[in-house]
Amino acid sequence: MQKPATPITHRRYKYHHHRFPVFSFALLFCFLFCSPLLAVEKTASKKKENTYEDSEIYLRTVYRSPEQLAAFYEGREFPQEAIKRITQSCYFTIILKNKTDDILWLEIDNWQFSANSAQNNQIIQRYNRAYWNKQWDEINLKQAFRSTFGWTLMPDVRDLRAGEGVGGSIPIPMQTDKFSVTLNFATGKDKKGKMKSVTLPNIQCKQDEK
Amino acid sequence: MKYYAPLLFIILLSLFSQAIFAKEKLPKGLIHLDNRQAPPLVLKDMDGGDFDLANLRGKWVFVHFWATWCGPCRKEIPTIQKILEDFKDSHLEFAIINTAESEDLIFEFLGIVAPDIVPLMDNDGLVTEHWQPRGLPATFFVDPNGKLRYLALGGRPWDEALYKNFLSSLK
Repeated sequence: MQKPATPITHRRYKYHHHRFPVFSFALLFCFLFCSPLLAVEKTASKKKENTYEDSEIYLRTVYRSPEQLAAFYEGREFPQEAIKRITQSCYFTIILKNKTDDILWLEIDNWQFSANSAQNNQIIQRYNRAYWNKQWDEINLKQAFRSTFGWTLMPDVRDLRAGEGVGGSIPIPMQTDKFSVTLNFATGKDKKGKMKSVTLPNIQCKQDEK
Repeated sequence: MKYYAPLLFIILLSLFSQAIFAKEKLPKGLIHLDNRQAPPLVLKDMDGGDFDLANLRGKWVFVHFWATWCGPCRKEIPTIQKILEDFKDSHLEFAIINTAESEDLIFEFLGIVAPDIVPLMDNDGLVTEHWQPRGLPATFFVDPNGKLRYLALGGRPWDEALYKNFLSSLK
């Protein structure tokens, strides 16, 4: 006698009934272990292009070509002589945010710019505010333009409060090879907390598109 | 009555602590300053009118520094435009200072996003530098005695309830 076919619904029921514990355990396992793993992934250092982020700091670098710089300062009505001097430098902008609950000290003098290709990690000296003041004195640049230019630069020193962000340009001599920047931050109100250090490797000056 | 005494004590304690925290708690991005005297602020506005911070004693003053080239400023200025009407003839006055830009640039920008703002013109940027903001934009709160009381770090959405309530609470 032929055995009656099991109704499909019944088969499904049986299938589920049989597999249910396996799926439940898989789901439970995932809920218990995968979620914390994903959370860890979120807080760990992320390596998106031009971005660095960990649980303490967010950093993004933006590169500007001489042409882009010229357009920006022409738009602000800067004289050509000033634009010429500005565009001879390599510019990159750093945007950073203090993600800690403590003070993070931005002190650019503690940042190190190193040429990758050079022997013994040759240090690159950035063009600081004194350099620019000398440039502007030479061409007798009006105070308004000096002021605007000054505000576009990264501040030299800033006690970044919890959650505070800051951004600004950092001009250095034009580089043909890639270079790296090591950003060192003291922490705590009296700078006695642990030092925070991040290295951004393989930075390249953006050139005009031909 | 003796059963109610602890309850009454807890309620009073709760109200007292709330009053203390309400005084100290600031919206996100605002910090306390050290109550030092505000630097002088004497400028002309874009229409040629005179402005002197010293004439505003007795009122709170929202002293804001900005420039058209600054991204966060461009985002924040429309939120200031939105609250101007709310605080017209109130305890709060506004000093919106443009840092070192030409009238043409300012007019072109404000004409579109914030036509009601008549900015003060810091033509050479020296007033801004004297105030030493932590970058642009920056907003200082000067109290009725001319003291620096609070600073907003970066751009803030002033038209949001949290910030509007804070501005209303400045008395």
